[in-house]
Amino acid sequence: MKKKKIKIIVGVLVLLIVGVSGVAYYMFNMPHRNIQETNTDFSISSSEIVNEYLADATIANEKYLEEEGNSKILAVTGKIFSISEDQNNQKVVLLKGPSDKAGVSCTFTAVTNAHTKDLKLGQTITVKGVIRSGAGFDEDLDLYEDIIMEKCDIINQK
Amino acid sequence: MKKVSLTAIVLSLFVLSAFTTPVGKLVSKDTHISFFSHTSLEDITANNYKVVSTLDTASGDIVYSVPMQSFEFEKALMQKHYNSSKFLDTKKHPKAKFIGKITNLGSIDFSKGGTYNAIITGDLDIKGETKPMEVKATITVKGNQVTLDSKMNIVLADHGVTFSGGKPSTNIAKEVEVTVKSVYISQ
Repeated sequence: MKKKKIKIIVGVLVLLIVGVSGVAYYMFNMPHRNIQETNTDFSISSSEIVNEYLADATIANEKYLEEEGNSKILAVTGKIFSISEDQNNQKVVLLKGPSDKAGVSCTFTAVTNAHTKDLKLGQTITVKGVIRSGAGFDEDLDLYEDIIMEKCDIINQK
Repeated sequence: MKKVSLTAIVLSLFVLSAFTTPVGKLVSKDTHISFFSHTSLEDITANNYKVVSTLDTASGDIVYSVPMQSFEFEKALMQKHYNSSKFLDTKKHPKAKFIGKITNLGSIDFSKGGTYNAIITGDLDIKGETKPMEVKATITVKGNQVTLDSKMNIVLADHGVTFSGGKPSTNIAKEVEVTVKSVYISQ
């Protein structure tokens, strides 16, 4: 009878240890959020979101940025102003209206870079990605900063 | 003959424009900043390719604006910790900024190709905590392109990033090595 009790206790303890270390292992190696496979939070035009930021950056940051860095996932529609490449060989597509002071700078990934191949300046596209920071006039830089989106891919093009 | 001279003029114009020296304010939207933390327990690296910088070749003024949520870590959990209100609080402080000046501007000739050593002093604002700093940088002028390379150490506690216990206090160095590479173009 006593032996059985001990067995049960040991069994529960072993299960507990396995469970806790399993969760810890998962947490430690938790994969990054897959932006393209996560639902879009906001669909908006590049001009609209830039204007939201220029009107009040504090309100816009409250709406779009998240505390642990998992900020909102946006589908932004706009005209291609420029296409470039960063030091990580990622394509950077700037969506910006002709009369807008700032745009949305969209950085693609090793996986999605190729999708920018046939894009043309002036073309209207919709890009999905995660927002990292907002737009605004910076007095020290003496220029308008663009909204930054990363992990981008094209979800619609005309 | 006329055709030849015209071609020559057009060609020389092209050559000239290709070698036009960068003057005035240069802008870099292609800057890479990485930081590296080493402890005996763990090495941590994060990369950011979305930094904006300006460099005024006439005054020596240099500014960096760093979108803090653009730092990418290998491990998602680390990235979460880094962004959280306990550490960098990136929702409240989405950008870090450096405002500085090249103090030995006289020894850098932006009109002549070459590699120059620059000394930059300025203020670094991370998480609303501003600290003065002096950094050494290498400025390379090649045609109309200017690149800046720099390495510096930043003491996290100087900017209110402290670890009171647990894994972060043992696995994150008190001082991290920051590497900067900016590619500037004339506006």
